[in-house]
Amino acid sequence: MNRMSMLWVNRFVAPALVVGLTTGLAAAAVAQSVGGQAYGTYVNTPAGFSTRSPLAVLPAISGTDGAEADAQGSTLNIVGALSSEFLNSTTSGELGALEAGAQSTASAASVNILNGLITADEVVANVMSSRTASTAVSNADGSTFTNLVVAGVPVTSGDAAVAPNTNISLPGVGYVVLNEQIPAGDGATSSGLTVNMIHVYLQSLVGGVLDPLTGKVVGGTLQTTGEIIVGSATSNASM
Amino acid sequence: MLKNLMLRFAPSLAAAALVATACQDSTPLTSVAHKPNFWAGPPPSCVTGKWTGGGRIDPPNNADLQDETSGGQPPRYSDGLSPMNGKVTFGFNVFLGSDDNGNCVVNKGEIQVNWHPGKVSWHVSIHDGVDAYDGRPVFASTFADNSGGFCVVVGIPETFMTARVNPQGGTELTQFEGCDNDRGEPQNSRSDAMRWRSMHFGDTGLTFLTGGNIVEHGS
Repeated sequence: MNRMSMLWVNRFVAPALVVGLTTGLAAAAVAQSVGGQAYGTYVNTPAGFSTRSPLAVLPAISGTDGAEADAQGSTLNIVGALSSEFLNSTTSGELGALEAGAQSTASAASVNILNGLITADEVVANVMSSRTASTAVSNADGSTFTNLVVAGVPVTSGDAAVAPNTNISLPGVGYVVLNEQIPAGDGATSSGLTVNMIHVYLQSLVGGVLDPLTGKVVGGTLQTTGEIIVGSATSNASM
Repeated sequence: MLKNLMLRFAPSLAAAALVATACQDSTPLTSVAHKPNFWAGPPPSCVTGKWTGGGRIDPPNNADLQDETSGGQPPRYSDGLSPMNGKVTFGFNVFLGSDDNGNCVVNKGEIQVNWHPGKVSWHVSIHDGVDAYDGRPVFASTFADNSGGFCVVVGIPETFMTARVNPQGGTELTQFEGCDNDRGEPQNSRSDAMRWRSMHFGDTGLTFLTGGNIVEHGS
């Protein structure tokens, strides 16, 4: 409700009625919505390409309906880029009178990226978003790596979480972001979260000049020329 | 006991499935299914409503022992089922209603459960009140637990519900339980809980979520 209309209401209507009107108008004007998506892997590299797979997308939900979507894959192998198995993606959501919520889970086992540069026994991405009358929240609780090793260095022993947005350099390749979290919404009326458990950014030097004396490339900029994602889950809710 | 019950009812379930398949274009399935002995007494309570949720549990960690036997549910492993421990992820959405006899049924629903240590996945699909994998209705029950939460059991004794099993490619009898413990205040009071029972792979026991959410939306 804008300032002019609020002044009009204040002038002519009792405060108690204002509360009722604004609440009612807000409920009538703002539609609830939920969304969710999950996928196990995505590969876009010079070595090969694989679309988001297996991909589960929450269908459009209206009224006070709800839905669940899931997808499974037994194995995935992009030679030189990524191999994995037991891939599962699930997302669900529903609109209710008191709460709108969505939750998504993606997992991949026996993960091997770039010929063993990154390995993990299993990766699980898990997110939830909820919008109630009082708040809008999202979290990635339950998102973990099992025996994750990056460039020969153990990152987790057993099943454990890694701090959000952990960035590790991969010399000559690029870098990887672990537990990459991308929030959305205002935290009051809407909230959303995407978590990419392993996001490899392949980088190449573009625009440099070869110095004939040293044999090294001078100048130029590092640009992302490919990416690999394992374990991605997204959820959002608004009211 | 669960296995015995399942075996005892397997012939009648198969017969019901055959009848249901044969009659799917002409007769409402709820009218041809056997009425379970479970309802020799009063039918279980059923608050018509909608449930959704998903996330992860890690049994035997975070067991919700205080609430496990609420609603007449058996203690874990007590029906001859083995422990189903380790990482379990899931997602579900069910709509409850009542049939002509006042029984609590699932009108539509989807349940996906993945047991990671065993690399086994189950899927339950219910449309128009009928389990897609055996043609029978799926019965449910709702109840308050011992700690202020509210729970739903989908696939109650003695008929349970039939799930597709991958990668084995077969089906088996299963049961799902979800408890909305935070009642509209997402995970800031007490985590929600989930339980999965499988004829061949065991029982997770009622377990607080490691992550995710379960919501009862009412009718």
